[in-house]
Amino acid sequence: MYLPIKLTKESREPIYHQIEQQLQTLIASGFLAPGNALPSIRVLAKELEISVITTRRAYQNLEANGFIETKQGKGTFVSEVPDDIRKQVKSDNVLDAMQEAVHIAHTYDYTKTEMIELFTKAVESYYEEKEGES
Amino acid sequence: MHAWISLKDVQKRIDEFSLGPITIDFEPGTITALIGENGSGKTTFCKMLMHLVKQDQGEVYVHDKNTREDADTWKQYIAYQPQKPIGYEVYTGSQLQTFISTWYPNWDQERFEQIVEDLNIPLQKKFSKMSEGAQQKLLFALTIARNTDILLLDEPTAHLDIPSKRYVIDTLVEWMDEKERMIIISSHQIDDIKKLSDYLCVLHGGEVIGTFEKETLQESFKQYWFRDVLPSEPIPGERMRQDNMILSENAARTEAYCTEHGLAWETEAHVDLEEIITYLLE
Repeated sequence: MYLPIKLTKESREPIYHQIEQQLQTLIASGFLAPGNALPSIRVLAKELEISVITTRRAYQNLEANGFIETKQGKGTFVSEVPDDIRKQVKSDNVLDAMQEAVHIAHTYDYTKTEMIELFTKAVESYYEEKEGES
Repeated sequence: MHAWISLKDVQKRIDEFSLGPITIDFEPGTITALIGENGSGKTTFCKMLMHLVKQDQGEVYVHDKNTREDADTWKQYIAYQPQKPIGYEVYTGSQLQTFISTWYPNWDQERFEQIVEDLNIPLQKKFSKMSEGAQQKLLFALTIARNTDILLLDEPTAHLDIPSKRYVIDTLVEWMDEKERMIIISSHQIDDIKKLSDYLCVLHGGEVIGTFEKETLQESFKQYWFRDVLPSEPIPGERMRQDNMILSENAARTEAYCTEHGLAWETEAHVDLEEIITYLLE
């Protein structure tokens, strides 16, 4: 199965962690259902143009956290993920993206109040655009 | 992990050229790309592994067998694809297949036929009458079908067209997934290096200047642009400087130094693997 994983080498986030997070998101969002087979470590390494050392690390962490499981001689499969963990992944993802924005705002010396103003503005303009479309 | 191939202080002098001393281990489950400029010793390195060139000093072990010993004890574990095979010219592809398959007890005829069909290899032509591309496709089929634990490939995709290159890469990936295996591949093709390799073993003027895990290497090289005036002497990790841009080969050291000395960089950028290789080979 082809996985829509996009690595950004510009990110300060290590590659294995990017894979881990994106796979968690694909699982939490239901794009990958329980029982779905994942590509082998070697195939994913080829597709993402990284080493198996990095891919294995991502798979091992996902397995340790209960997102996937490896069946000896059969391959790696998506696990049944409890609802509270799915919710956690979703809110973690949103928080991560927000923290990135906060980091950028901080480098431009924005104050807390200004950041919150900007955030409110972003939310409002998003919904205005959506309403404009429909 | 226990190494499948080990070189211990191996050295070879051929006329003006000297290779080594080289000490290196290759582990199962890994793909290592041998990279280096023309004349850096990659082919000699491959031939020495196969004991086709005898080292002046040091030992080579394949599956714990010293390659100075009887070749029957270790050659069955390793399939070598040379750039220019010797003595193939007068035979057709079919004849070569008949000879070679009898030497390898695990010969995989089905795989051989599949590759011949997929890559349209003209088996009835004499090797010398085939195009360079067809020769290389045939060599690949004859090598992988030996069904060994280890592949040693010397520039296996240099003459192939783009779809065939992709086919070879995909086939090697599948082959690695079938059981515990290992590949050492000498290549100038950036796609081979990016899509296949876990480790890069870099040869320069007959010396191994290092074996690097691909992501570790990519994470250690970084470019930084500064607004502040930089100290005139090189800063830790600095590999190259252009006005206010510094290219670091040790991002962690460069960043630690800059943070400690209050040098703030404006932006940073990742360096493409092809560019990193160019720096390493300079």
